[in-house]
Amino acid sequence: MSHNVKILPGATVCEDCTLEGDITIGSGTVIHPRVTIIAEGGPIVIAEYCIIEEYSTIIHKKSDNQENPPKPLFIGAHNVFEVGCKVESIFGHIGEYNVFECRCFVGPDVKISSGCVVGASCKLSAPQTLVDNTVIWGSDHNIREALEKQPSQLLQLDFLSKVMPNYHRLRKPNGHKRQPSRQSTEAGK
Amino acid sequence: MAYLIQPDYVQYFCTCGQIKPITNLYFCRHCLKVRCGFCICHEVDSHYCANCLENMPSSEARLKKNRCSSCFDCPSCFHTLSTRATYAPARQDPAAGDAKVENKQPKKMYYLSCFNCRWTSRDVGIPDQPVASGGWPERTNPFANRFGQLLEYFKAIAQQEKQDKLDKERKKYAIRGKYITLTDKTGLTGAMARTTAGLPSSESSSSAIANFVPSQAKEEVEELPEDYHTKEVNLKLITTMPQRLASPEWQAQLVSRLQPIARPLSVKRSQRCRRCDHNLTKPEYNPGSIKFKIELLAYYHVPEVKIISFETIKPGCTTELLLKLTNPTAHEMQISIIQPDEVPEVEEKEEPKSIEKSLEKSLNLEKDTSWRQVIERKPLLPTTIKLHKPELSFTLAQRDDAAEYDDDSHHETNDIILWRKSNKLALRLKVTTDEEAKVGSPAVAILALQYSYRNTVPPTANSPQTRDHVLYTTVAIHLGTVTQ
Ligand SMILES: [Zn+2]
Ligand SMILES: [Zn+2]
Ligand SMILES: [Zn+2]
Ligand SMILES: [Zn+2]
Repeated sequence: MSHNVKILPGATVCEDCTLEGDITIGSGTVIHPRVTIIAEGGPIVIAEYCIIEEYSTIIHKKSDNQENPPKPLFIGAHNVFEVGCKVESIFGHIGEYNVFECRCFVGPDVKISSGCVVGASCKLSAPQTLVDNTVIWGSDHNIREALEKQPSQLLQLDFLSKVMPNYHRLRKPNGHKRQPSRQSTEAGK
Repeated sequence: MAYLIQPDYVQYFCTCGQIKPITNLYFCRHCLKVRCGFCICHEVDSHYCANCLENMPSSEARLKKNRCSSCFDCPSCFHTLSTRATYAPARQDPAAGDAKVENKQPKKMYYLSCFNCRWTSRDVGIPDQPVASGGWPERTNPFANRFGQLLEYFKAIAQQEKQDKLDKERKKYAIRGKYITLTDKTGLTGAMARTTAGLPSSESSSSAIANFVPSQAKEEVEELPEDYHTKEVNLKLITTMPQRLASPEWQAQLVSRLQPIARPLSVKRSQRCRRCDHNLTKPEYNPGSIKFKIELLAYYHVPEVKIISFETIKPGCTTELLLKLTNPTAHEMQISIIQPDEVPEVEEKEEPKSIEKSLEKSLNLEKDTSWRQVIERKPLLPTTIKLHKPELSFTLAQRDDAAEYDDDSHHETNDIILWRKSNKLALRLKVTTDEEAKVGSPAVAILALQYSYRNTVPPTANSPQTRDHVLYTTVAIHLGTVTQ
C-alpha cells in the first residue's frame, strides 16, 4: 500500500520508517527513522513543519461507524511528536503547534485543538476535548492552560533537514501526486 | 543487596535495631559499630544552591532566608525554571526620528520558562527582562511588618529568659556562699558581660516586649460572596493546595497570581558518630563535587551478602539458599556463619568515673549532652525460618581490583562453597521453615556473620588499639512469601 505515500518537495522522510495507507506529508516536515504512520481508517495528511521523532506512532484507526468515503485525518502545521509517542485518532483533525512529549499516549476519543502539550508519559484514553493551549504534565496528569501557543521549532527543523541527509537514506519527494488528495483534504475539513 | 527502585532483599541490622540495606549504613572505625542515619548526628556543613552551585556561608544564607537569589522554581509544578532568550522586535518609536536607525538591532529579552509544565513568566504578566539573571520583580510579603515585629518580640523574650536564668544561677551560688562567680571575681558587671558577649542590652529588649501588640481575634469576618456555592469552578484558573503552600506568604488563589519561587538552598551534611564524635562522612566543600573527604560507609567495611537464588519457602520444608559473600576490605577476612542468637551481647562499659570528668561536667551546665546518648537495642527477630549452621568457617581474600582480570577458578570447592573468585564466594545454605509458618506471610531468614576485621586507624598514645577484631553483623534475607 506504500505506493500511496505522497511526499511533497522540502519534506525530509527517512526510508527506515513504516508508512502504510494513503499518507500525504507536507513540505518542511521531518520524519525520523523508525516512525510508524498507519492510515487504515482513511487517509492521513500531515501539514508543513511538523517533527515526528523516532519510534512515534500515528494511527488513523478504523472506527465502527466508518464513513464512506473515509474521512481523512488532518494533522496541522508545526506539531511535534516526540520519541515514542503514540497518537490514535479517529477525529478528522489535530490542530497546530501541539507537542506530544516522549512516550505519551493519546487515545482515539481525544480531540486535540491547537497549542496543546501532552506531557511525557501521559496517557489520555478517556473521551475528551483539549481546548486550545491546554498543557497536561506529570504522573498526576495535571492540567493547566497556557497563555500562548508553544513556540515553533523552525530552527530545529532547519537543522534537522540539513543534517538528516548526511546520516540517513531518505525517501524521494513525489509531490506531483499531491493535487487530488489535497482536494479531498479540504473537503474533509 | 540494594536497588534504586526495587525492594531491599538483604537488610542489615544497625546497632540501634533498625533494619536497613547496606548502602544506607555507616561504619564507625573507632567504635567498630554499624551506625545508621537514625542513630548518628547530622550536621550542616555548607549551604549551596543545587541549580547554580553557588556556595554561601550560613550567615549569608540566613540573611537570604535560605533561598538562592538568582534561581527560581516553577510555581506551577516546582521544577526549576530556565531562562530563555527571545529577540524582541525593535519598538517603532515615532518620536525617536533618526535615532531609530541604530535601534534597528532586535534586542535580546529574557523570560523564565518551565520545561516540565511549560509555565512561563509571561503567563502571569511578568515583563521580559533585558538581563539574563536577576532583576526579576520581587513581591513584598504583605505581612513583612508584622513578621518583623514578631521576630523582634521573640528575640527579646529569648534574651530575657536567658538573663533570668543567669540571674537565678548567680543567686544560687550567692546563697551557697562558697563559690565565687565570674562577675564577683573579675568585677565585671552583668551589663558589661553582656556587651562583651555581643548581646543587646536588656533595656532595648524590655522595650520591645512592652511595645508589642498581640494579635486580636475578630468576631466579624468578611462575608463570603453570594455566589460562593453556586458559581461554577474552573479548575484551570484556581491554584492547587501544593501550589498555594509552596509560597505561604501570598498563597495565590488564582493561577494568574502565581510568582516564581526563589529556589530553596540545599545543604551539604557531614555525619558524626554520637558515641565517639568522630566524623563518619564529610563531603568536599565544593558544591560541584560529589566526593567525600571522609566516607566511612558500611559498604566498605562489612562483608556484603547477596542472594543468588533460593527455593520457594514452604511450611515444614527444608529448602536451599544460594548466597554470594564479598569482602570489601583490603585485608583478608575470616568469616563464619552463626545463628543470630549466638551474637554476643554487647555489654556497655561504663565510662570510668573520674573527678576531673565530673568537674568538667559541672562547668558545662548549659550544655545538654543527652543527644550524645546512643540507643542500642536488640531487635525482635522472626524465628519461623531457621538456618542450618554450616560447620565451616572460611577465609575471604582481600579486595584486589587487578584480580578481576585473572581467570582462575581453581580454588577448593565443596558442598557448601560452590565457587570462589578473588574476594567473592558463593555459599549453599539450608533453611528449615516452621510447620506453623503462615502461608502468604513474608519469608525472612535471619543469619549472623562473625568476621575478622583489621582496624586501620593509627593507634594514638592514649588509646592503644588492637589491630584485629572479631565483629558480628546480623542480616535479614527476604525470600519472597511462604507458599503452600
Ligand atoms: Zn542505627
Ligand atoms: Zn542558584
Ligand atoms: Zn513547571
Ligand atoms: Zn564512633
